[in-house]
Amino acid sequence: MKRVITGNQAVAYGVILSRVDVISAYPITPQTTIVEELSELIASGRLTTRFLKVESEHSAMAALIGASTGGVRCFTATSSHGLAYMHEMLHWASGARLPIVLVNVNRAIGAPWNIWSDQSDSLSQRDTGWIQLYCENNQEVLDTILQAYRIAESVKLPVMVVLDAYVLSHTSEPVEIPTMEEVDAFLPPYCPEYPIDTREPMAFSVITTPEYFLEFRYKIQKAMEQVPEVAKKVDDEFRSRFGRGYGSIERYGRRDAEILLMTSGTVASTSRIVIQKFIEKGVSVAGIKIKRFRPFPSKEIYEEIKGARKLAVIDRNLSAGVGGIFAQELRASLYSREERPQVFGFISGLGGRDITPELIEEAVQYTVEHPQPEEEILWLGLKK
Amino acid sequence: MGKQLTFKGASDMPMISISLGDMDWNKTGAWRAQRPFYEDRTPPCSVACPAGNDIVTFIQKITQGDVEGAWNVIKEENPFPGICGRVCFHPCESKCNRGNYDEPIAIHALERFVSDFAFNLNKKIEKIPGVRKGKVAIIGSGPAGMSCAYHLAKLHYEVTVFESSSASGGLLRSGIPSYRLPKDILDREISNIEALGVEIRTGIPLGENLAWDGLKDYQAIFIATGAHQNRRLDIPGEEGKSVFNGLDFLRKINLNQKVKLGEKIAIIGGGNTAIDVARSVIRLRKKAILLYRRSREEMPAFKDEIEEAMEEGVKIRYLVNPIRIQQKEGLKRLECLRMELGEKDESGRRSPVPISRSNFFIEADSVIIAAGEEIDVSFLPKGMEKREGIVLTQRDGSTGIKGVFAGGDLTSNQRTVAHAIGSGKKAALAIDCYLNGKDTEEAIHRILIGEGPSLSIFRHLHPEARPMNPHVVTFEELNMDYFEPSKRLRESKGPVKERVKGFGEVTSTFTEGFALEEAERCFSCGTCNECENCYVFCPDASILKTEDIFSHQVDYDFCKGCGICFSECPRGAISLREEER
Repeated sequence: MKRVITGNQAVAYGVILSRVDVISAYPITPQTTIVEELSELIASGRLTTRFLKVESEHSAMAALIGASTGGVRCFTATSSHGLAYMHEMLHWASGARLPIVLVNVNRAIGAPWNIWSDQSDSLSQRDTGWIQLYCENNQEVLDTILQAYRIAESVKLPVMVVLDAYVLSHTSEPVEIPTMEEVDAFLPPYCPEYPIDTREPMAFSVITTPEYFLEFRYKIQKAMEQVPEVAKKVDDEFRSRFGRGYGSIERYGRRDAEILLMTSGTVASTSRIVIQKFIEKGVSVAGIKIKRFRPFPSKEIYEEIKGARKLAVIDRNLSAGVGGIFAQELRASLYSREERPQVFGFISGLGGRDITPELIEEAVQYTVEHPQPEEEILWLGLKK
Repeated sequence: MGKQLTFKGASDMPMISISLGDMDWNKTGAWRAQRPFYEDRTPPCSVACPAGNDIVTFIQKITQGDVEGAWNVIKEENPFPGICGRVCFHPCESKCNRGNYDEPIAIHALERFVSDFAFNLNKKIEKIPGVRKGKVAIIGSGPAGMSCAYHLAKLHYEVTVFESSSASGGLLRSGIPSYRLPKDILDREISNIEALGVEIRTGIPLGENLAWDGLKDYQAIFIATGAHQNRRLDIPGEEGKSVFNGLDFLRKINLNQKVKLGEKIAIIGGGNTAIDVARSVIRLRKKAILLYRRSREEMPAFKDEIEEAMEEGVKIRYLVNPIRIQQKEGLKRLECLRMELGEKDESGRRSPVPISRSNFFIEADSVIIAAGEEIDVSFLPKGMEKREGIVLTQRDGSTGIKGVFAGGDLTSNQRTVAHAIGSGKKAALAIDCYLNGKDTEEAIHRILIGEGPSLSIFRHLHPEARPMNPHVVTFEELNMDYFEPSKRLRESKGPVKERVKGFGEVTSTFTEGFALEEAERCFSCGTCNECENCYVFCPDASILKTEDIFSHQVDYDFCKGCGICFSECPRGAISLREEER
């Protein structure tokens, strides 16, 4: 069944189809219509999920940590400052190896106040031990949620599914909604590693001395290292069942391109048109969309960029003092390689300013014309 | 019991830090630097109660819906809840910690409710079976004598009370008008004491029909003959016709005897007797004018009584002192001096100083003098020391004569019903110790409420009872986060118009609903009422519920001494002390 729905509604469909047991959410701003949709369904009795209305995002995640430990499938959604407020509990969820799925609507963090699209909120949580998946369109949003539970429950790590504010969250697009039966066949019920039994009480995440703490962190890293393989398997199965797949990255444009453009989220969608335009003009370019930011797909990227000389990255985020976070991660992942392209780090579209085809063209043009970047950070559309 | 697991490395470790057995091996209580513990601490009300009532416990019983239980608690210490609930000046309420927050608990009203409720349930005190240990004679059947008789009977003594009047009760019967204390209340509480096996022999005054020699059979004697003699003013005209004394007047009223009065009555005095007289005069449809030589501030009568008297039409003239009573054609004329207040005297009140040449006259048909009472010592045996108007005794009530004890108004200037009850109780304890050759001082010391002087005979009879720290809980030690302001409930009073028509009781007993509501206002200072705050707040789940002497217990294996239970206890029933290392 195809319906024209917003990104937020696509999330809600994904949650419903995933047969989530517990949703916990703080219902006031910066919350979105995601939990509004879900809570209405629950209130009307059409959805039997337990909805916990809590007093903060910190509590929302804390409640899910309890619920997930209890062995049920959990979900929450937030955005911007709400995600920042969750920070402490995000660490706890991954440390406790709980396969919670969280949807974050990508928005800037104040000050100054801004409610528009920006990746700063999710990227500033990159070290919390969560898998992060960025989406390009509303169909991908719905599909990614279904995949997220499979991945999370397989490697026992939480997953953050990210979509751009307004461009996806509040914009309607046609989305194919799979049936419950189809999803049930793809996504089996969750079986916890350590089921809770009141007759045999256990303490979870108890104090761990220096003697063993390092080893638990090692295990998390090992789980993260499994993700590429697991995610690929899940994506392949998804593709065979539903006819759609996304990969952890996606390359488009000329195979032989020496100049590459790397983007994420909805910017990838705009980039496709720009790349096409350059190819039509005879310039040998290609685009790379990064879907999975954590664990960073270093290996997959390296395979795709072999032979390229220059790689432009557009970051809709800023780690002040360094630059764009995608560019930073990319540089780090390429450092050990002998053959590596020149990385051009562009910053654009912060706080929801549109990243127009013209701006992307400007970035590609700059990369074509310059053998190496004149500055560490290249500002697109900056009013000086 | 689980044990701490050891691992070679990551490969044999579980995915997460988890207890694969229980955590009992890890006694985290060892981290504790301070130790909370349950301990009853003394509530200020009980300390203030001269009769030593366990107020917090009986109020708790009311809140649990167990009014009979409340009655059982009260009668451990006091056989007269119906009387005290009506006429006691309730010093407990003046010390009630709730008074620092909004208004004190109406303890007197609750006590009265419990007594009336138990009576309506036909609850009676039953005779305690068992062998009588010895014979004790009590002279005087007022509150001191009867309280002593009651407790001695409970201690298994054979008690005979000798009363000079034709009816028992002492001042309770002859001195307190029935609009304050109906006679049936007195009768029912005295008959409760008789039911314990106490014999009361009325019409036997000491010294006349009862010679000291006649008391030889008794191993101990308690004298509580009260203070029945009117203090004289020593002014000219005091002996004249139509001049009465207050106690005589009240006795006649109480025995339904006729008193011949004119229309306008002057009453001299400022104590409770004077107020009782004035209000009785009003009820006889006469005009009452009360003359007091100091100001209202210094008046010894209870505030409520003064207010009710004024409501009922008693006129009070302050700073007035009669110096002569003259007779003129059937009319009395009181020559008075105006007074002013001078320095504080030994009673702590500012003393009246006459203003010279301020003489004036007040006319009245009759004069009733109620300027205080004195003791009659004429019949007392030799060997009893007297000073400043009272018989001197040791702290335990013993006199200079072996085996003879004294109490009540006879031995104290604090002449209230509650003090008399307390004094009788203490004498019962002292007699028990005397007859058993025990150290009375030590026995008293063990059962003092706080630092005393009130004592708990319940603790004498039940040394195994939950101990109580003598520290008196202060308002600052309570946690007001758990209380909301509420109004003190008041007993309803009849309209003044109706009240003055006769000697019917002025106030009514609380309904059960009112009693429950008022009882629930009690902070329960220093005594756990199982509110479960500690249980709810303990972050280590280290509060255990037990069926033991305390309903709760701290699990010291795991309590880390954070002190949250201590600070969140609304009533100071948990103490904290440093852990000894």
